[in-house]
Amino acid sequence: MKNILLCFIALWVGDLFSQNKEVLYGLEEVPQNLLLNPGSKVPQKFHFGIPFLSQIHINGGASGVSVYDIFQESSTDINSRIRDKIFEMDAKDFFTINEQLHIIDFGWLAKNEIYFSGGIYQELDFISYFPKDLAILAWEGNQQYLGYDFDLGEVSTTGELLTVFHFGANKKLNENLTVGVRGKIYSSALQFQSKNNTGTFTTRETTDGINIYEHELRDIDVSVQTSGYTSLRDADGSSEVISEIVGRSLFGGNLGIGIDLGATYDIGRNWTVSGSLLDLGAVFHTNAVENYESKGNYTVNGIELIFPPIEGGEPTIPYFSNIEDEFEREVGIDTLNTSYTQLRPLKVNGAIKYRFGRRVGAGDDCDCYNMGGAIETNQSVGVQVFSVFRPKGPQLAGTLFYYRRLWQFLSTKATYTIDPYSKSNVGLGLVADIGKFNFYIAANNLLRYGNIAKAKSVSLQLGFNIKINEQ
Amino acid sequence: MKTNLSVPLLVILVSILLTACVKDTDFDEADNIALTPVVELDLIYFILTANDFFDADTSNPRLTVSDTTELPFLEESFAQENLKRADFFFKFTNSIPRNFDINFQFLNPDNTETYSTQTSVSQGTPQNPVPTDFSEIVEGEDLTELTKASKVVVTVTIESSNENLEGELNLKSKTTYYLEL
Repeated sequence: MKNILLCFIALWVGDLFSQNKEVLYGLEEVPQNLLLNPGSKVPQKFHFGIPFLSQIHINGGASGVSVYDIFQESSTDINSRIRDKIFEMDAKDFFTINEQLHIIDFGWLAKNEIYFSGGIYQELDFISYFPKDLAILAWEGNQQYLGYDFDLGEVSTTGELLTVFHFGANKKLNENLTVGVRGKIYSSALQFQSKNNTGTFTTRETTDGINIYEHELRDIDVSVQTSGYTSLRDADGSSEVISEIVGRSLFGGNLGIGIDLGATYDIGRNWTVSGSLLDLGAVFHTNAVENYESKGNYTVNGIELIFPPIEGGEPTIPYFSNIEDEFEREVGIDTLNTSYTQLRPLKVNGAIKYRFGRRVGAGDDCDCYNMGGAIETNQSVGVQVFSVFRPKGPQLAGTLFYYRRLWQFLSTKATYTIDPYSKSNVGLGLVADIGKFNFYIAANNLLRYGNIAKAKSVSLQLGFNIKINEQ
Repeated sequence: MKTNLSVPLLVILVSILLTACVKDTDFDEADNIALTPVVELDLIYFILTANDFFDADTSNPRLTVSDTTELPFLEESFAQENLKRADFFFKFTNSIPRNFDINFQFLNPDNTETYSTQTSVSQGTPQNPVPTDFSEIVEGEDLTELTKASKVVVTVTIESSNENLEGELNLKSKTTYYLEL
């Protein structure tokens, strides 16, 4: 139990997250912005990401607790701090990790004015909601909770490790509208999920019952689906595990398909709206699948002794084993190998932006090809929304941003985001185009960098590209 | 010239990231984390009637009856390592007009006694059942012995018996386990 707790704490210490990349969204100077909106405007003619370095993204978060909350130097006992947190958080609080590493990333503007882009990235995604009642039961036991229904349905978690092969097309349809689409093939190495569970555990004092208490498991319907796990369990040694994971990542595991859609629309000369739907798709888990499920009701009152007349040498009645057998029969765990389909967490981005300031690039008043079109300026402000669909419903974030192109070669974007983690999340991104070399770095929760232990979430993206601009 | 200006800005952002640190925390405290749940669980229960203490076939009193149940969780390493204290609570209700002696004998898998306890139950009448509560707190050395046991033998002894004896002896019981994980 302590180890499980330490694992959770290690997660908070390591990286705490969601999947929002609010700084990068709409930042057209970064080619990988196309993965956040395939219908983004594309200023360059060609880009090629430095392999393994075109985008490194890590994001981790815990909605209800920070490392500092638990491990602060303090005169109070650490156990009472943990206890306070357990009671403060609720079952909607969650721990999450999302990591992406772009292995290959490229794009080019074809003769038909379509910007094609594609690549391969590896992704790790994990979320676990806080099973508050189970935490209370583990932390305090049931003595203070007689008659209370511990909700076992609060257990809700998903995790996966997969490789994504993608290819997309982006086209400026007219002066105002740019649209894009991206197809994806998912190769899942590992996946597990436990969702939509139900059931309660209750210890009740009985006044006229057959024993002092009645322990009841009611409406139990708990299941865990796994894919890829059995192939790792059978692997012998770490090298076999690694080669198994790599093999499953490269079409050797379970496959899925998905699509990203996006569009950008200029309204008049200063306003732009944009939006995207990402990972609209599913993975079909058919091989190395092992599912566990438990369903039913069970009540136990202890062990009834019946004092049978036993002659010498006769075995006694196996009361305890009988109870165990009955438990197995009523609510035991069944292992199944049924295939299952897993929807990818759907992400939605939306933004509205107002451009102002000094005009740069295309769109000058005297540009006869762009009489009614949008003008490009060195500054903009706007609002973004982000949502990711999670087992217990969408997680939402809202962002205000200010963008400024400082010089032709250097742009910045500052963001202020409100999300389930905090109301004081300030992010900053920088993009430098030095010759054909493109570098960007974006991070959020900057106010917490003085002491990361106090941050409930951290997100960081950085990458290097070769980019040839149109101009 | 312009290119040079990008350098300070990059330096600022990168240095913010590099100077990010974890302060005012003490991770050694992880060693002090202890879960201390207190768990209430039913133990055994029975109802013995006055008839159980008289053998109608031989017309002889049967003064002692006993039964045994496994309690395999006691000698599991989980209990041996994490159990700090166990409080047994036995609640007898007696409507038989006789006193009883009750013996709980905990045995290891080789049937050697590791721990035992006993109590007596006061007599009652069918019209007026008499409750007798008995509790036993086990900790320290005794607990070490208790967690070597894998079963308990319950022996119920009646002081005397005859075929006209009426009433019931009822037992309900529970254990409070104090764990430290």
